[in-house]
Amino acid sequence: MTIAVLRFPGTNNENDVLRALSLINGANPILVPSRKGLAGLEEADAIVIPGGFSYGDYLRAGAVASVETITEGVRDLAEDGKPVLGICNGFQILTEMGLLPGVLLPNKSARFICKWVYLKVSDHPTMFTEGMEGSIIRVPIAHAEGNYYCSEEERESLKDELRIPFQYCNASGESGLAYNPNGSLDNIAGIINQKGNVLGMMPHPERASRAVLGSTDGLAILENFVRATK
Amino acid sequence: MITKEEMEHARTVLDREPTETELGMLDVLWSEHCSYKSSKRWFYLFKTKDDSVALGIGEGAGLVDIGDGYFAGVAMESHNHPSQIDPYNGAATGVGGIIRDVISQGCKAVGLMNCLRFGHPSKPHNAYLLENVVRGISEYGNSVGIPVVGGELEFDDSYTDNCLVNVVCVGWVKPELVVRSSAKTPGHYLVMFGSTTGRDGIAGVSFASETFSDDEEENRGAVQIGDPLSKKIVIDTLQELIEERLLDGLQDFGGGGMTSAAGELAKAGGTGVEIDLDKVPLREVDIKPSEIIISESQERMLAVVAPENLDRVVLLLEKNGTPYGIIGKVTNDGHYTAKWYGEVQAHLPINLLVEGFPVPERIEGKVPAQTESMAWFKEPENYKKILLDMLGSVNLCDRSWVYSQYDQHVQSNTVVDLGENSGVLEFPNGRKLAFTSDCNSFWCLLDPQQGTANSACESLRNLVAMGATPIFIADCLNFGNPERPESYCQFVESVRGLGRFSNDFEIPIVGGNVSLYNEAEIEGEIKRINPTPQIMVAGIFEKGFTPVRRNLVSPWANIFLIGDTLPELNGSEFQRITTGQVKGFPPKYRPEVEKRSMRVIKEAHQKGLIRSCNNVGRGGLAVALMKMALRSEYGFKLNLDYIPGAANSLAQKLYSETSGRYLAEVTESNQADFLEIVEKHESSVCELGLTNKEPVADFGAFSLTMDEAREVFSNGLKQFME
Repeated sequence: MTIAVLRFPGTNNENDVLRALSLINGANPILVPSRKGLAGLEEADAIVIPGGFSYGDYLRAGAVASVETITEGVRDLAEDGKPVLGICNGFQILTEMGLLPGVLLPNKSARFICKWVYLKVSDHPTMFTEGMEGSIIRVPIAHAEGNYYCSEEERESLKDELRIPFQYCNASGESGLAYNPNGSLDNIAGIINQKGNVLGMMPHPERASRAVLGSTDGLAILENFVRATK
Repeated sequence: MITKEEMEHARTVLDREPTETELGMLDVLWSEHCSYKSSKRWFYLFKTKDDSVALGIGEGAGLVDIGDGYFAGVAMESHNHPSQIDPYNGAATGVGGIIRDVISQGCKAVGLMNCLRFGHPSKPHNAYLLENVVRGISEYGNSVGIPVVGGELEFDDSYTDNCLVNVVCVGWVKPELVVRSSAKTPGHYLVMFGSTTGRDGIAGVSFASETFSDDEEENRGAVQIGDPLSKKIVIDTLQELIEERLLDGLQDFGGGGMTSAAGELAKAGGTGVEIDLDKVPLREVDIKPSEIIISESQERMLAVVAPENLDRVVLLLEKNGTPYGIIGKVTNDGHYTAKWYGEVQAHLPINLLVEGFPVPERIEGKVPAQTESMAWFKEPENYKKILLDMLGSVNLCDRSWVYSQYDQHVQSNTVVDLGENSGVLEFPNGRKLAFTSDCNSFWCLLDPQQGTANSACESLRNLVAMGATPIFIADCLNFGNPERPESYCQFVESVRGLGRFSNDFEIPIVGGNVSLYNEAEIEGEIKRINPTPQIMVAGIFEKGFTPVRRNLVSPWANIFLIGDTLPELNGSEFQRITTGQVKGFPPKYRPEVEKRSMRVIKEAHQKGLIRSCNNVGRGGLAVALMKMALRSEYGFKLNLDYIPGAANSLAQKLYSETSGRYLAEVTESNQADFLEIVEKHESSVCELGLTNKEPVADFGAFSLTMDEAREVFSNGLKQFME
């Protein structure tokens, strides 16, 4: 299964994602520089948009990348129901493209923040969280704009349609101000689209994919992503 | 600026007046920053050679063999002066510069560190400098995608008018892909790429080689502006050029700009260079050739390319959309020739331009003598209050306000995060390397030689505590004006201290930088920084070894103190906090004692006997132990009656900063084996007490809850920054 890992100028997590995916049986991750345009996605069965600072985050995080030609290909794949995962800057790009609702505002602290966080995985099954439902996982975050916000209407539909697979919490699964690193609405760390095949998340599953790094919880998300790529 | 004597020398060698362009070139390359004219004469004191050293001091980065077909690369540098004037851009370009040094050797850059010094953060301007320096490092390093794995921060009023920003970059390279910074073959092309050239950073090195005046604003144009997006593209492009082995030499544009980059390539290769300044891609139209040649615009690299590779190089540069220019050729005439539309602007012998300066006389004054007297010492009335004051003080408290702003995990190699004794990265050969850095500037002020050697011991202990074996050193030596004897002696004594340490412990020094003129003249008064020799040491772990953290991990384990405790409180944090000053003879450098305790910890780690371990350093035993407990869910209960060594009062035992000591958590079942190792290496030891399920720090004579401690510890710095 060919998984296209996109690299815009300024993306800097592409190698981490490629490395983590290469640990998973059946995955065939390939690097696709955005300048290749639609041709770069011809073989793709799924897409990861990794983190980083595409186009230096100039204008607004993800804003410039979201109007590149290659994003049309991302949109087509998403409409076909193929799995699309946006991590960190990738999540920001997906919201800028309108594939996911809402925006990612600057962190409440107004500073970049890097730390390990705990996430509560929703009880409701999604293609990305199979076997993890209801669990508490530990993954790192690293971002300056991760403060998720959306309209009241969008918020209601995210909730009603059970489209919030990941929320910030503490080690025992309790949520609260102290455990929300960026001020995001409803402690949201990740959301999916209505079809359920597009996931955007601020935490970095690829950075929690080997025991030596302190956690393998993120690998489970990537394994589900690969399993869903059929 | 170039001195009268240097000007005379240049005239004599050239037998004519230098041109305007030539003068600018000599000025930057003969600056202290580029030439090391006051410092280089002492480097013979360092241990620099070792079988593992593949490339020592002298090029962009030092390279050390770490086995299995990999070299580790390291470079360390200061960006002090620019950061004082423009903290955001100064710090960001400091990071940018140090990354270039490492990648110009063919390395992949995998880790960053930073060592910072400011005046007390309760003054708004100092907090402003810290805030923006951290933001500069964070936004640049995070964008480029290199994790920060270590660092260090100290506050003292001597840094108020001259903050210090020292940066380290580490990387790795396979031996067959190493690129050298030399231009050996006449006829090869000089290709610059990465970014355009503008007026930022004009003669930045000359500005960094003078003391500050009252009017700092006038130097703003000497500060460079960083561009992390271009840097990321340079890194990606360079990786392709290196993997295809298309480069015969490479140098980054750092201090001294094109003058230094091309001049050093020619010097190293024993050749000359001819450059057409009109071929340089520019970002400003009216810039003069004399400015182009010394501009320090960021994100630029200079490659030496053989004619048969030129087309391929150009293709890759165009594909990646990076600005480039084929600006000249390597020659065999031993000269640096610079032309502007065919007209010669400069024609200088390489041997004059690079290192051809007349060696200046420098006078070593005398370091003021200190006494052993502890007449100032008074046993505190309220032990608990003093300990809380110490934990909340800016030089001991929690630094997470700073390091949570750095991406520590990008590249997915980070095994141990910031906040531990050292940061640990996994290298591609599967080996884990630890990185740490230390400098106690108060010890160095009181006795530069002993203070430097002892600061280096702290770095050493940081590594040993985790289970790593030290393998190389990089340093950044920050001092005042070398033209003043009372300042120069601090520098020379410190170099002697570092030389002793490197030889005593047989750890090679493979990279470094000297930053002098770190003083300001404010209203006629000279404000000089504390001597600040930053010493970064890297260590390597045995295959498969899991680094030992410092957080306590089990209840009812024994806590052992290894090493004697002497009444050494002069120069300590306790002295600073209780009396508001430091004086007297600081804790002594005792290499033999240090080695004995090091051997104990090393062997105990090899046998897996220690659950958690900490170096006893700044703040003494009490602070070291509190830091172990603060990172855990446990407390402890101690009996301090039997501590070996001459320290006799409770406060002396708690706060002495005698070196050569460690704290180790050892479970009951491993106790006998552990004590046997201590005896074997003729070190001293005592059982301080037990870890405890209850989160209370019980020192016997007094106690406090871990919650109280955590509150002051975590607010120490944060209270001034938020």
